[in-house]
Amino acid sequence: MKPDFEEALRYLGAPNAPENLRQQTAQMAENLAASIQPRYTYKVYDLEFLPMGPSLRGAGIVLIGASAAKMLAECTQAALLACTLGSPFDLRLSALQARDMAQAVVYDACGSAFVEAGCDAASAELAARFPNRYLTDRFSPGYGDLPLSLQPSICTALDTSRRLGLHVTESFLLNPIKSVTAVIGLSDQPQKARIRGCAYCHMRETCALRKGGKNCAI
Amino acid sequence: MQFDLSPNKLFLLDGAMGTVLQQKGLPPGGQPELLNLTNPDLIRSVHREYFEAGSQIVYANTFGANALKLEGTGYTGQEVITAGIHLAKAEAGPGQFVALDIGPLGTLLEPMGSLSFYRACELFADMAVYGEQAGADLAVIETMTDLYETKAALLAVKDFTNLPVLVTMSFDEGGRTFTGCTVASMARTLEGLGADAIGLNCSLGPDRLAPLLKELCENTRLPVIAKPNAGLPDPVDGHYDMGPEAFAEAILPALEAGVTIFGGCCGTSPEYIRQLKRVLEGKSPYPRHYAGGSFVCTPTNPLRLDGVRVIGERVNPTGKKRFQQALLEDDLDYILDVAIQQEDAGADILDVNVGFPGVDETVMLPRVVQKIQSAVSLPLQLDSSNPDALEAGLRVYNGKAAVNSVNGEPESLERILPIVKKYGASVVGLTLDKRGIPQTAEARVAIAKRIWEAASALGIPSEDIWIDCLTLTVSAQQEQAAETLKAVRAVRQELGLQTVLGVSNISFGLPNRGLIAQNFLVQALAAGLTLPILNPNQKEMLDAVSAFRVLSGEDVQCRDFIARFSGESPAVKPVQRAEMTLEDAILKGLKTDAAKLAKAALETQDELSLVEQRLIPALDQVGEGYEKGRVFLPQLLSAAQAAQAVFEVIRACIAEKGGTPVKKGKLIVATVQGDIHDIGKNIVKTVLENYGYEVLDLGRDVPPETVVQAVAEQGIRLVGLSALMTTTLPAMEQTVRQLRTLPEPPATFVGGAVVTPDYARQIGADYYAKDARQSVEIARKVLE
Repeated sequence: MKPDFEEALRYLGAPNAPENLRQQTAQMAENLAASIQPRYTYKVYDLEFLPMGPSLRGAGIVLIGASAAKMLAECTQAALLACTLGSPFDLRLSALQARDMAQAVVYDACGSAFVEAGCDAASAELAARFPNRYLTDRFSPGYGDLPLSLQPSICTALDTSRRLGLHVTESFLLNPIKSVTAVIGLSDQPQKARIRGCAYCHMRETCALRKGGKNCAI
Repeated sequence: MQFDLSPNKLFLLDGAMGTVLQQKGLPPGGQPELLNLTNPDLIRSVHREYFEAGSQIVYANTFGANALKLEGTGYTGQEVITAGIHLAKAEAGPGQFVALDIGPLGTLLEPMGSLSFYRACELFADMAVYGEQAGADLAVIETMTDLYETKAALLAVKDFTNLPVLVTMSFDEGGRTFTGCTVASMARTLEGLGADAIGLNCSLGPDRLAPLLKELCENTRLPVIAKPNAGLPDPVDGHYDMGPEAFAEAILPALEAGVTIFGGCCGTSPEYIRQLKRVLEGKSPYPRHYAGGSFVCTPTNPLRLDGVRVIGERVNPTGKKRFQQALLEDDLDYILDVAIQQEDAGADILDVNVGFPGVDETVMLPRVVQKIQSAVSLPLQLDSSNPDALEAGLRVYNGKAAVNSVNGEPESLERILPIVKKYGASVVGLTLDKRGIPQTAEARVAIAKRIWEAASALGIPSEDIWIDCLTLTVSAQQEQAAETLKAVRAVRQELGLQTVLGVSNISFGLPNRGLIAQNFLVQALAAGLTLPILNPNQKEMLDAVSAFRVLSGEDVQCRDFIARFSGESPAVKPVQRAEMTLEDAILKGLKTDAAKLAKAALETQDELSLVEQRLIPALDQVGEGYEKGRVFLPQLLSAAQAAQAVFEVIRACIAEKGGTPVKKGKLIVATVQGDIHDIGKNIVKTVLENYGYEVLDLGRDVPPETVVQAVAEQGIRLVGLSALMTTTLPAMEQTVRQLRTLPEPPATFVGGAVVTPDYARQIGADYYAKDARQSVEIARKVLE
């Protein structure tokens, strides 16, 4: 598995980067993939719709709020997913930051792209295991009104400390840095793409690309 | 009956607790340790079933009973652990033992997380003491993935109890833990720290763990433990794929590799232990093949000393004004940079010396060790004559270190060797005593023997004893060069020990010092020197080592030599870049050129005008390009770093002259409490520093009180705060509010992914910085 360096360039706010920066990013993406691979784990739960929101049976987790209810409205099951590049990425990033911040920001962007690639791989694996089902878009705590405070219970349900070395801090940050938890709904009906685009992005107010009338295409 | 771990016997541990509880109908998750108090009969029944199945040692239900994980449960660690040990003891018959079980704290330690090493030691020490008081027969530390956290736990058990202690860690199939620790690093570090047995648990089934267990057996003299999972879990339903019989059969390769202590982890139950007992019945331990040898390491970098290894000497204030200034100003970033340059130049080990008048080594050495280990992967050699500083440094060192040094004097040996032994370090023995350096090789070898004997008497293995036969200046005592070489040869050939030698001193007072030093180095290597201490930034010295490794056969097929020199072609002259200006070098982000051009410029221009008239305008030009979208962040930072190289030239120039450094004003940057993402803050710091501002970086996860205190103590006028997540914004608001209560509140600017101009206004911050470039504008307004 390799990170998409074009995506990394978008994270850097440099989709039209000059050739040398493109090459540098592509090379960094190669180096990253040669030393680190994303790890992921997921688990599928039956859904039960409670007044507060959809509940994952057996995990003791209610996906509070309107966003999850809307995403999972046509689903009977949902998967919890966690993916991380692990702490070797963090160590390498701090080593690079001490040497060369310019390289460090490129590495950081490649890491973001890589953990997304890991989530894509996990989603694909899940889809392959349920060939007759349709998957919703992947969404994470922090999306819409789905609270970040769900992070600890999601990580406990997936046993991420033991399985992935992925922890949650008291302020609900995932640690190591390049980590993602997400929910994917499983339905018998085709699911339309709902959540890509600026309207759902937490960067929408400060994004430099958006101000210039452009977008990052994710 | 006291627990005794005989290497000539096989031992049977228990299997999983959580799996059995789930089989008995409990939902997964939660805090299973609380069951010791809320459902004691259930826990007792699990222990009973394991003892009945054949377990000689069961792990009490105390895995996560640390103060962090129990917070908010209404129970204390002491209650949970005492109850847990008592429940297991109540089921133990003769010849059956109960272990206090210590698992990870559930949060990452510094530098990856924010929990300090010292705090981790305290948390583990509480568990260890409660366990021993409650009557545990031994302690086990298990399922660890961070060698640093494992060390904290092991030190806690060893320092605060008399319990024997078993330690197991979890590895993936590639032979690394989640944090990148290797099997050899684990084995050598934990054996050095005094574990009674070590091994692997969790993560994989016995089949896939077997190769790693073999590697572990080759790297330790201790009894080895295997406690694998019942194969791999199904990602959808969580079931493990290996039944009890298959599991037991698959353990046999581990027995053949030398493992003597067996059990099960996730997915195993009493039936698995019964099957293990069946297949191990009547079997005896297999012979072990220890392939240790001299070794130092960090978790990710296991370094076998089976050839020439270069020790970098530059982290040392002796004769270096800039380094002394950094020590006195607490500029740890500079010291880190010196370390980084040596790693990048090709050193294998770094000597670390921070002894200087006005510096408290006992405080400084551990801080510098942690700072260097945050960004350098090389093993360190802690260099001090102060035993307290050495102990403080060894305590926080992550891995197996070396100590420089002891000498032949009984006082030195008695004070320092016990510390070396306690922390499992290697030690450099200087062949001198109170009469000084002996003039003959024979007398130096005699002192080496004395050091060897004293170290051996304490149980320090020969492979960890390194002898320094001492270099004298050849221009002053010419005949001594030959004596030193003779002594090196004798120590290597007759005693078979590693040999250390600082080579730089040889040429003192002579012209063309490099030539003498390089020749002496080569002769010493030929005489048997294995660990030269030198300046790795001097290319000709590492070139000589590289050539020596070819001729000695160490560099197999000359691979490293070819890699080092294949890019070089002496016939081609370097491209002339006479027309390049300092401004060009900065715009293009060329550090080395910028530094060279700055040096040249300083011959005709003073420091201040160089900064004001050339450096800052060049940076502004890059900044403008960045704002207009022509220059991207990595390029902006490259330019900033080229400017930093210029500043470093200026600082060195001023330090040489003994003047006061150019400083344009000081500000603080910090990532707020609860937030561990600090790359944004570091970008701001890099850019500001390279505009000449002095930036006091308080780091990440910084409590409001720390910011306020630093501002008050140092009279700071500007503070920059960064937060990445909505959950840490309240901490930003809190920090700004507390700063405003000061009699002379500083100006504040805030930024970070989720911070908006509106939010900045709302919390009362003076400025919103959308990026690093804007922070420069703000600093100009406030500080100039």
